[in-house]
Amino acid sequence: MTAFYSWIAELAQRGMLPSDFQYPFLIRGFFCVLVLAPMLGGLSHLVVTRRMAFFSAALGQAALTGVAIGLLLGEPLNAPYGGMFGFCLLATLGMVFVKRHATLPPDTLIGVFHALTLGLGLCLLVAVTRQFNVHQVESVLFGSLLTVTDGDLALLIGVGIAVFALLIRQYNRLLLDSLNPPLASIAGGNSAFLEYFFAILLTVSIIVSLKIIGALLVEALIVVPAAAARNVSTGTRNYLFWSVVVAFLAGIGGLVISTKLLVPTGGAVVLAVSSIFFVTMAISRLVGRRRSMA
Amino acid sequence: MTEVSGDWLLEIQRLAIHRNREALVDDASLRVKRGSLHVIVGPNGAGKSTLIAAVLGSIPFDGQIVLNWRDSGAIGYVPQTFPVDPTLPVTVEDFLALTRQRRPVCLGLSRESHRTVARLLARVGLSGLEHRPLAVLSGGELRRVLLAHALDPEPELLILDEPTSGLDESAAGWLEETLNAIKREGRTTILMVSHDLDQVRRIADRVTVLDRRIVADGAVADVLAGPTIRDLIPAGSPRWRRA
Repeated sequence: MTAFYSWIAELAQRGMLPSDFQYPFLIRGFFCVLVLAPMLGGLSHLVVTRRMAFFSAALGQAALTGVAIGLLLGEPLNAPYGGMFGFCLLATLGMVFVKRHATLPPDTLIGVFHALTLGLGLCLLVAVTRQFNVHQVESVLFGSLLTVTDGDLALLIGVGIAVFALLIRQYNRLLLDSLNPPLASIAGGNSAFLEYFFAILLTVSIIVSLKIIGALLVEALIVVPAAAARNVSTGTRNYLFWSVVVAFLAGIGGLVISTKLLVPTGGAVVLAVSSIFFVTMAISRLVGRRRSMA
Repeated sequence: MTEVSGDWLLEIQRLAIHRNREALVDDASLRVKRGSLHVIVGPNGAGKSTLIAAVLGSIPFDGQIVLNWRDSGAIGYVPQTFPVDPTLPVTVEDFLALTRQRRPVCLGLSRESHRTVARLLARVGLSGLEHRPLAVLSGGELRRVLLAHALDPEPELLILDEPTSGLDESAAGWLEETLNAIKREGRTTILMVSHDLDQVRRIADRVTVLDRRIVADGAVADVLAGPTIRDLIPAGSPRWRRA
């Protein structure tokens, strides 16, 4: 990897790439965005269609608790993946199970899990900060390019490929199940399987994105790209296209803002993606007005 | 589900469905003759849609539902309601292609899917609406699209849950004609839920009156002239009365 980073840095020094590419952490950040954008953008439009925005927010909080558990169990500060995967998958399975079997509305049940995981996470974080400097934990909460390692990038690429391969096989059934579960069931889609399957894919994708976006802000990149894409899309094809484009632009914009203004990457990405959302909203209004005038 | 031989495509035996200890359907038994148009009627809350959900395997139930397939074993289903988020950018062709190609529709439609979608839309009189979002269709157009979806692959059993509710007279008339045409082809058995007794008289071969239990079942003329239906619907009233 060192040779690769040196080669990119050389291209940057010769002026063939932006000068920021002289730094390995920025090259890693750029490649993270290249993987994150299609993965989260692709999932994003199904998350919004399946009305799982609040579910994603609850998962972000669960990841925070997972980090605290991982650190308390002795995992390294820059890779508490055991705690995150373990606790988040447990929370996901719990939320989906309770949602499928309880009579209360889904948002109420997810609200209960949301509060529970956040409360537990805060209590555990207090214990964690007795062992670590709170600023070291900040990178997990808000995302930081400086802490992303080659290992994180490799994990992100591996998960990105797996999510793409699995999602492509079930996409049509997932979409039909979002529209009308009995129709999906007749077409051979098992509603329970699809719900667990998608929730697990989403969980894994969120966990591997945390280093860049942060636990508290990851939901923004899961929800806002699709919300922005809806403003300008007329079919599923350009819905996916615009979701990915918005996620990519937000990722790159976030990287630039983060390095220029020295602010956390997660916050910068959220600012970028939210700005894009309002731009697409304005475009949608303008186009709608022109059409109505025509 | 068990397979049986005979002239029946669907047999329901002692079906019971409960929710929160309340019986939504109780001890319901009926048979649907192969190639017939069988209508289930009953007042609101009689368990008609619940019974259909059990036939589709969407909800747990006690009793037995037996399907005696001879041909494709395919079920076509037109739901009573199909709420579409008004901002959802799913077009008619996206929707119809969902079950007709393995490639995700968000990556584009195959040539075969394009041809099938065009053929299906022509069949339901909606040619040219391929690129229209589902959310902007009228109630009648959406019902036709759902029927197009249900007709491919050609179903051995076509289930329609109140397909004409909310439709104007001409749209309802078109649907009745289409169902009659499908029935005449003889390859599809139709099970339909309706609350419109005039419609039942016009198109049904057999009718079952459901009010959580089966209260009447048989040929249309016999059931509609019988005392049970007069108890449930006051003379001259289009409305059902709770027993």
